[in-house]
Amino acid sequence: MKLYEYEAKKVFQTMGIPTPKQYGVIHSPNELDAIPMEFPVMLKSMVLVGGRGKAGGIKKAKNREEAKRIATELFKLVIKGFPVECILLEEVVEEAGACYIGITMDPATFNNVVIVSASGGVDIEQVAVEKPEAIIKRELPDNAKELSKNLTRELAAFLAAQLKNKKDITGSLADIIAQVYATYQRFDARLCEINPLIITPTGAVAADAKLVLDDNALFRQVELLEMLGITEKRHDVAERTKNELRAQSAGFPYIDLLPETFTKDPKKLYVGLIPGGAGYGIFSIDEVATIGNRYFHDRVVPVNFMDSGGGPPQNRVAEMFHLLMDYPVVDLIVTSRFGGISSCDIFIRGMVQAVKERYESGKRMVPIYGRMVGTDLPSARTFLERAKLENPEALRYVTIYVGNQRIMADVIREGIQKALESKGWKP
Amino acid sequence: MKLVPPDQGMLYYIIENKRPDLAKKIKQTGIIETVVVGLGGQGTRHAELMQQYGTTITAGIAPGRGGTRLLETIPVYDTISECLKEHPNIAVASIWRHYSTAKDATIDVIEADIPVVILISEGIPLKDVRDILVAARKHKTVLIGGNTPGVIFPPEGIKAGMLPDVFYPEEVSPEAFGPKGVTIISRSGAILYHLSDALASVGIAQNAVIGVGGDGAIGSTFRDLVPLAMAYKNTDLVVVAGEIGGCQEELLADDIKKNPKKYPKPLVALISGAHAPEGKTMGHAGAIVSPGQVYGTFQSKKTALQNAGVPVVNSQYDLITEVQKRLVKKTYFDVENYYKKMKTIWDAPFKKPGWGTLVTKVMPNNLMISGYSLQDIVEKKGFLETAYLLVKGEFPDKKILEEMRKIAVDAAQRPIPKVTRMKNEDISKTLVKYFVLDEELAKFPEAGTEGAVKKTIFCLGRVARYLSGILDTEKALERSSGNEPFSHVIYRAVTGNPTVNEQQSRMIEAMIVACVDHGVTPPSAQATLIAASTRAPFEVAVAQGVGAITDVHGGAGAKAAALFNECIRKSEKENIDIAQATREIMRTYVEEGKRIEGLGHRLHTKDPRRDVLWALSAQTGVAGEHVQLSKIVSTIFEQVRGMSLPINVDGVIGAIVADMKLDPSMAKAFFIYGRIAGLSAHYFEEVASQPRMRQINFTEAVYKGKGPRSIP
Repeated sequence: MKLYEYEAKKVFQTMGIPTPKQYGVIHSPNELDAIPMEFPVMLKSMVLVGGRGKAGGIKKAKNREEAKRIATELFKLVIKGFPVECILLEEVVEEAGACYIGITMDPATFNNVVIVSASGGVDIEQVAVEKPEAIIKRELPDNAKELSKNLTRELAAFLAAQLKNKKDITGSLADIIAQVYATYQRFDARLCEINPLIITPTGAVAADAKLVLDDNALFRQVELLEMLGITEKRHDVAERTKNELRAQSAGFPYIDLLPETFTKDPKKLYVGLIPGGAGYGIFSIDEVATIGNRYFHDRVVPVNFMDSGGGPPQNRVAEMFHLLMDYPVVDLIVTSRFGGISSCDIFIRGMVQAVKERYESGKRMVPIYGRMVGTDLPSARTFLERAKLENPEALRYVTIYVGNQRIMADVIREGIQKALESKGWKP
Repeated sequence: MKLVPPDQGMLYYIIENKRPDLAKKIKQTGIIETVVVGLGGQGTRHAELMQQYGTTITAGIAPGRGGTRLLETIPVYDTISECLKEHPNIAVASIWRHYSTAKDATIDVIEADIPVVILISEGIPLKDVRDILVAARKHKTVLIGGNTPGVIFPPEGIKAGMLPDVFYPEEVSPEAFGPKGVTIISRSGAILYHLSDALASVGIAQNAVIGVGGDGAIGSTFRDLVPLAMAYKNTDLVVVAGEIGGCQEELLADDIKKNPKKYPKPLVALISGAHAPEGKTMGHAGAIVSPGQVYGTFQSKKTALQNAGVPVVNSQYDLITEVQKRLVKKTYFDVENYYKKMKTIWDAPFKKPGWGTLVTKVMPNNLMISGYSLQDIVEKKGFLETAYLLVKGEFPDKKILEEMRKIAVDAAQRPIPKVTRMKNEDISKTLVKYFVLDEELAKFPEAGTEGAVKKTIFCLGRVARYLSGILDTEKALERSSGNEPFSHVIYRAVTGNPTVNEQQSRMIEAMIVACVDHGVTPPSAQATLIAASTRAPFEVAVAQGVGAITDVHGGAGAKAAALFNECIRKSEKENIDIAQATREIMRTYVEEGKRIEGLGHRLHTKDPRRDVLWALSAQTGVAGEHVQLSKIVSTIFEQVRGMSLPINVDGVIGAIVADMKLDPSMAKAFFIYGRIAGLSAHYFEEVASQPRMRQINFTEAVYKGKGPRSIP
């Protein structure tokens, strides 16, 4: 979970990392009037995405009038899909030099890495490519709680040597590096970064702050979240669609592959997916696309990603089917249940529940094509057979293969073929 | 189908690589032992599925649940170190702990030097995972996961994790599996099944399937596992299943280029996510770890692997084509035959869930306690030894027996609560009063490894005291030296006789032992088990069982004794032979519609306890007219009623009690007394091996204890 800059800075303050003075955070230009501040002032758009500066999201104002004008403009801004909803008002710091300090986990070795560079304030990736000698990277294979004094001294000396400050700032830089690392470890961060750390005549100040928390550890960071006033998990995605919000409240991962406002191409078949776990959720999109491309002249469009694995309860399974059947784009639902952790039985009960409810209340029905194998299969099969006998009309367009005689690619292909035929199209 | 012996499979190969000494032991035993760590709903359920598949699960670990049992038979320990003291050969751990506590549990297992650790737990904080990885590197552990669906080795029939049993091995003959095949290593669990399916559809077997795990940091990556699988001689080809995100695929490609010798066998990569919307990447620092390199996208992975000479596919159809090409159309089994076998698995009728007891196996005309036949026990063993056997599954040695005797004798010496017995009050009800009022019994500790059996023994001592209270024989009991056998204490309590008659004492004990248990289905056992399932206190649960022993259940002995008595008095009074007197009385009973007690049994046509009691009554010299009558009463009944009903244990005990000139109600008292030992055993078994508040279907119980054995 990403924190906003002003939140990250609050955390830094508690850890003794110097930050510029914050005058306040506003959610509308009018709130600006009530905030006492010294000019000039920085107005920083708070969005959970990088590249704010380049996108014009960070501005300096000389006086209150200008500040208000800039704020009004910033609130109209959408940066990489993220609308600006709040602005941080901050003291302007005098710059005598800038550097970079970042801690994260190496995705290759899973060790913590400390990265420092005397080229602060610019894209660190760019520095890594263009001026690798300006960067020191240290990998820490022991997951220690704190950095060793030797290491912080070494890194600080490297920075101080390049910054060529009049005053010796090695000591204070070493402290900051140690505290950035301590912040990273103590608050279960995935990334803790200062870019730039500005060297002012009076000392170093974190002009920007980036803190990404480990979602898996949020449960034990209650005090931190309380301090920041965060009550529910924040989603680091731009804007979510209606379907995505609905799936989120029902408790399963879902992503629309098509834009929210969208006109169906009448020549194409749109396939919704209830595919099992996340891995097959991704793979089944590829399968549908490939099969459509290879056998049906590219007339097949997968519409969603869904993770329906992990043993969802019956009502949630029903909601998966409801969601896709309520989604007017969907022409066909392809489903696969491979019961390992999850039970075929609960899955099939959820599916039948949804189809029956829709049939009885006259809601839109979409044909279902799929297959199930694995845990609890015998009882699932018995249940489905009985349900088909008892509700032949409601379950007329439900085809579920039991067992693995047909591989899923064949089931998808056959489902698409049948769906196209029923529309009177020749494949 | 005959499986490949464990010491020829890939799992063994991995263990041998890491712990040669442990591998030697596995060679001797022929078994690869697994421990299940974390016994919540998931862990327990999958422990059962693993066991059904063929995995040898030796133990379970759950803090605070040491001394209980997993799946009714597998011992549970509080910690891995306690477990390894008893089971030093454990080679595989599968960990199912909640993410909040998974770290310590996993590190404990790693530090205990278990070579293969399968970490199923999902969503463990990354900082905790890093601590786990530090430990795993230090101990050279093969750590798979977290968030792995597990591993499965189809030729050996071993799995650790939650993969379903769909992966099919090579067939070397119609009767035997072989070790060769394709090894699949995947980042996703759900996709595994579809890869296996695709390959099986063209006759390609899997010799191992490994899910590396989906969390942000994991123990083993493609770069670690692909060379390992390729070094195993029976792997012909490896399939890696990657997906967008992370950099495992790129690192694998890099390693193949740098160390081609580590990759001597064909490799096919399936990467999914070609049509997925581009994911959001994390902050800057992550991206500069490999400066100048892009990673994480479908294209970056595909390009990297193709540049390393690895074919990359993105569909089931293409996977089949590429693998077949590299195996030169080799097949490992007949596909039609495979489908047939799979179909039998899918078509298998729903298996009724059974539950297990290790105490007593009940068969027609045969009762076995922990493998020993009850008649042998009655003949050769005393009450305390039998009670010990019921609870612990083994007889005590001399030293322990002496310790038990002291507990029982001490219990019989302590004062009892004041209880009044109403006129004609059923003795079972009076005993219930004692049970619920007795603070000595309530206070006696039952925790610890020996707690259950000690409490049982203490309880049996208390019951002797209760009986003396009921029969007003406390004085005789108090004259016990404290050094005599427990059977003497019982004798004093029952007879009130201060001088012990050794023969009679032996007979009384034998009658009590004959009644100790009849499995989980008698109403008394059911009552105790239901109370135990709610975790009611021991004395309450046992009292509930005792309370269920009424005239209808367990009360026949007293009535039989009365009937035999009546017949003998009639024969004496009217000077007719006993058979004649009995015939006449029975006729009256039949005419009046009264039940004749002591005959017939719902299961036994020849009660296994009958002959041994008769023989003992002769040996001890207590047998008289009543026992004589009990031997012919069944024949007389047939003459009167025209149907054959055998005499049962109650009838025999009733006759002996009558010959010993004891109060007829003692027949029932002995029954209850003996049965209290059985009820105790069932109570503790329920508490140790079953979930709370379970719905108990008594007829579904299956005996899972020791096989037949004889008393040395």
